[in-house]
Amino acid sequence: MTDQVTFPDAVQWAVPFFIAAILAEFLWIAAKGRGGRYETRDAVTSLIMGAGNITSGLLLGFIAYAFFMWLWQVTPLNLGTSIPVIILCFVLDDLRYYWVHRFGHRIRWVWASHVNHHSSQHYNLTTALRQTWTYTFTFMMVVRAPLILLGFHPAMVLFVGGLNLIYQFWIHTEAIGKMPRWFEAVMNTPSHHRAHHGRNARYLDCNYAGVFIIWDKMFGTFVPEQEDDRVDFGLVHNIGTFNPLRVAFHEWVGIWRDATQPGLSLRQRMAYCFAPPGYSHDGSRDNSDQIKAKHIALHPEDRGTPGFERFQPEAPNSEAKQA
Amino acid sequence: MPLGILLVLVIGGIAGITLMMHLAGKSRITQLTPDSAKAAWLRHVPGDEVVDVTITNDGHTALIRTPAGNGLVWSFGADTVARHLLDFDRLDRAEGFEIRFHDFATPKVLIRLDDFERQHWQNLMEPV
Repeated sequence: MTDQVTFPDAVQWAVPFFIAAILAEFLWIAAKGRGGRYETRDAVTSLIMGAGNITSGLLLGFIAYAFFMWLWQVTPLNLGTSIPVIILCFVLDDLRYYWVHRFGHRIRWVWASHVNHHSSQHYNLTTALRQTWTYTFTFMMVVRAPLILLGFHPAMVLFVGGLNLIYQFWIHTEAIGKMPRWFEAVMNTPSHHRAHHGRNARYLDCNYAGVFIIWDKMFGTFVPEQEDDRVDFGLVHNIGTFNPLRVAFHEWVGIWRDATQPGLSLRQRMAYCFAPPGYSHDGSRDNSDQIKAKHIALHPEDRGTPGFERFQPEAPNSEAKQA
Repeated sequence: MPLGILLVLVIGGIAGITLMMHLAGKSRITQLTPDSAKAAWLRHVPGDEVVDVTITNDGHTALIRTPAGNGLVWSFGADTVARHLLDFDRLDRAEGFEIRFHDFATPKVLIRLDDFERQHWQNLMEPV
């Protein structure tokens, strides 16, 4: 099945908007004296990461596209390019994004690509552009396969994926507090995504949504931003470099060093590659579950609160029960 | 979008935003105080016990002593980074000590020390 369906590269066309919005946010913060922070080297690193992301797409995008076009040859289905189909594709692709993003936080191999997006201790519109250079090597393009096999043209799937990324640009800001309640209930917002970028124990592994926050609510990963637990942006172990090459590749180097240590079993080597970030064969590191458990040990009053639901408040002792 | 226009936008955008931020004073490096250095350490190692904090005269690096050993907190732009002093090399430099962490993501930090501080810091950083 072949045809000549074309869609614009939405992300490239959004570049002027990105630049204008960053200028506007910067000036707004400067004028108001609140609503976020900017730091020169942090922002420049983020912008270079964004430029590198576009470059890697130009250089390596053919690999994913060739895979998608092969799937398109295989599938007997073709849903066409009508507006309702594009909207349906957008919604289903957002579900795809949720799962890729969740894998990106729970599988170290994918985290190695995604970690750079979380490596800034700032949260402003430049952070949105701090994007991966190595996504191709995660092989997460396979998660898009069902969409194409269902009859959504690859060009359309990539187009709506671009729209998804553009939507996510504006939510990387502290300048916006909360949106109207109905909007917060359905859509991903600056508040929800701030929580996602938090390194606080409460906010680890939450709010993976791209556009619709409903996916997190459906799959049990939603944590609302708490007024009494201000989001601390960055990584659990913040990195000490602004060098874009180190930002882009540091976790891959970490995987290599960990998995090639002498004396490990094959299972341990595989776990360093694919287990949740924080795995160690000797217990010298903590994953997010262990970090949350340690937090609860220090702050038992947080039991049962958002982000700590699995740590239920301690039951009254047996005497109290009998009474 | 034509590649030439995209290149001009990206390079021009990065250069313009960088210049604007620098001129607006956003390149300043954060200054540590004993309290802020302690807070930065506890942000990195929640629940740890800080025994003592020693800050360089330039206010950009702090040595943190804990029951489990020493650590460093240093200014990282407007923020801070902290590391335990476990697996590292200390190199003498004209400006002070260069600490190499054997970590691709945090390769090194330069502790700027004047002549009066150097000996004191050397003593502090010696393994007990």
